Amino acid sequence: MTNLSLADLAGYLRQLGEGALITLELFFASFALAFVLGVLIGVATLSRSRLVRAAWRVYASIFMGVPSLLVIFLIFYGGSAMLAAVLGEFGARIDISPFGAGVAALGIVYSAYVAELVRGAIENLPKGQFEGARALAIPPFIMWGRVILPQVMRLALPGLVNVWSFMLKETPLVSLAGLQDLVAAAKIAAGATKEPFIFFVATALVFIAFSAASLWLANRLEERLDRGQRRAPVRSPAQAEA
Amino acid sequence: MNALPIDLDLAWESLPALFDGLMVTVFLTALPLIIGLALAFPICFARMSPRRALALPAEIFVVFFRGAPLLILLYLVYYGLGQIEALRNGPFWIVFGSPFGCAIVALSLNHAAYMVEVLRGSLLAVPHGIVEASEALGITRRNIFLWVRMPLALRYGLKAYQNEVVSFVKGTAIVSVVTITDLMAVANSIFEQTYDPFTPILCAAAFYWAFVNLIRVGFTVWGRWLSRHNAEDAPLAIPAGQALQGLAGRAKVTP
Amino acid sequence: MIPRPHAAEPAAEPAILLAQVVKRYGAHRALAGVDLQVRRGEKVVICGPSGSGKSTLIRCINALERHDAGRIVVNGIALTNDEGTVQDIRQEVGMVFQHFNLFPHLTALENCMLAPRLNRGLSKAQAEKLAMAHLERVHLADQARKYPARLSGGQQQRVAIARALCMEPRILLFDEPTSALDPEMVKEVLGVIEELAASGVTMICVTHEMGFARRVADRCVFMDRGEIVEEGDAARFFEAPESERLRHFLAQILR
Repeated sequence: MTNLSLADLAGYLRQLGEGALITLELFFASFALAFVLGVLIGVATLSRSRLVRAAWRVYASIFMGVPSLLVIFLIFYGGSAMLAAVLGEFGARIDISPFGAGVAALGIVYSAYVAELVRGAIENLPKGQFEGARALAIPPFIMWGRVILPQVMRLALPGLVNVWSFMLKETPLVSLAGLQDLVAAAKIAAGATKEPFIFFVATALVFIAFSAASLWLANRLEERLDRGQRRAPVRSPAQAEA
Repeated sequence: MNALPIDLDLAWESLPALFDGLMVTVFLTALPLIIGLALAFPICFARMSPRRALALPAEIFVVFFRGAPLLILLYLVYYGLGQIEALRNGPFWIVFGSPFGCAIVALSLNHAAYMVEVLRGSLLAVPHGIVEASEALGITRRNIFLWVRMPLALRYGLKAYQNEVVSFVKGTAIVSVVTITDLMAVANSIFEQTYDPFTPILCAAAFYWAFVNLIRVGFTVWGRWLSRHNAEDAPLAIPAGQALQGLAGRAKVTP
Repeated sequence: MIPRPHAAEPAAEPAILLAQVVKRYGAHRALAGVDLQVRRGEKVVICGPSGSGKSTLIRCINALERHDAGRIVVNGIALTNDEGTVQDIRQEVGMVFQHFNLFPHLTALENCMLAPRLNRGLSKAQAEKLAMAHLERVHLADQARKYPARLSGGQQQRVAIARALCMEPRILLFDEPTSALDPEMVKEVLGVIEELAASGVTMICVTHEMGFARRVADRCVFMDRGEIVEEGDAARFFEAPESERLRHFLAQILR
């Protein structure tokens, strides 16, 4: 450390902390959007209609075929114009913030991946699940919410964990649209202190640590879900009687 | 703003510049793919080694270069390595001093880390019994790797390799931050000149899409060729001389 | 058919000699000091309950498993940890596995050609001629250009036998060659092995096919809990077993 006073360091650390918070907010908001959109799209495009399936193919092909950064720029630069086209006069006055553009872009891009996972998981469910629910005359809404989707989530969990860690590593892209996130703060601190090596390594380690922590959590979750599944056949008759 | 968000004249005018950008992107894909793969093999062997002294550094390499966001790696190489005096005065400054060199280094390290895991997964997927059968035939370890484990690993890992290559191509879009004029950068600069938010970016998207899907098609063809053993009999190459005699029964089974 | 050569060779040296061979897996002793000698040209059948160490025993002979103590001598070569010695022994010993372990990416013919080409440097034409000859021997010349996935289990196992024969080994080890097969295919595989037996090669076969044992074996060996409990010529072995354990075992498999 050459000429880095303690007060300066504290200042940069505060900035980094604030940036990290913004990165986290961005990440959680984007993942939530991707998840919700993805599940909806996944379920909706299971339809037998050729048109719907073709639309899904186009959607997936586009968003899996272009860089996330490009989608971020597209929404950041063109978002206002798009909103204006959809909402008329009112939309034109909405300014798109880097944060909003980031959430929208990452959410849309990764919703395609989530949707694909969900579709795959549903197709892998035993046919009997649907038939059973139908035979019991369970209303579709409840069937999906209580019977199908929980199982789908269990099947899709490893894939979702992948999406999670991939998306985390793409959140820094939003700093290129001007978001003052962790990476932007690190870049400023690196430039001002002339200590880029330390700041960038430290930032990288923050991402790695967060990723490792969430992976650990996901593994615990998976173990718990698996245990539930293995016990279920033994337990359920007893519970039914109780 | 008219109904169609794309200005066709602008698109037409921008094509040559965008194409140049695409070429830069292609170059920035091809070279790190080669370097990354070449790095991945020795690191993967180290990672799979029972010796802790070899496995641990390899594992740390993978965790760091796979876990760190690419953008940070690029910053780290571009801004961070310049700090190191020895490097700045050394012969490698030709590489680390130029944006291109830095981008290639960062991309290669990132790709290598991913490929170590792809390779490892594929090699572990090769059934142990088949390796054992090769050993029992007295084939040397090197030859088993070249002729049995690697060809099979390629078949098991092809899908993962494809996914990695595709996401790698898309990842290269960040190199404009170190002043390289790749496809994304060209689109951005056209936007800055024209303030047309759609035309240049959507055109760039079309180029990216075409490039990515060309790669997908390539992998599909490759995969089909590799898995021909599951689909049908080998094409009837003319067998050398006397071997033909035993093949009388063939006619029945050949479609 | 070639006449049995063992009369012509020096009878003093056994083809395989095992002395006090021990193999441990952690605290478990898979082989608890096994002594066994196999003469040249002799056919030995080993049977015993699962986990009795019979597979481990033959896998120690070609060093697929490394023994922990005792002496193993194959065709006069003492098995050590030296990689060269292991390779030498594997050239002498062919092995056929329960699950065939064919190379799925190679045709039947290529499966047979691989080891001769890599180990003995045969040209493609020479290796092909050799492979076709051995495929002929297992009555599969007409399937030579099919991939394993297109062959039935019995055919796959016969290819595996041909593949082992292509190294022209003087000793053949069979590790439950028919236990993964559907009943109707057992016969074709046993038939091929019987034909081989008549050619004078030294053979150790782990199997529960008692009819086969009676027809082919010069000697039967019963193993239980890592040791040889009883051995003798086939007729006496089945009709007048001495030990209670063998009687119990025979009662179970013959029902």
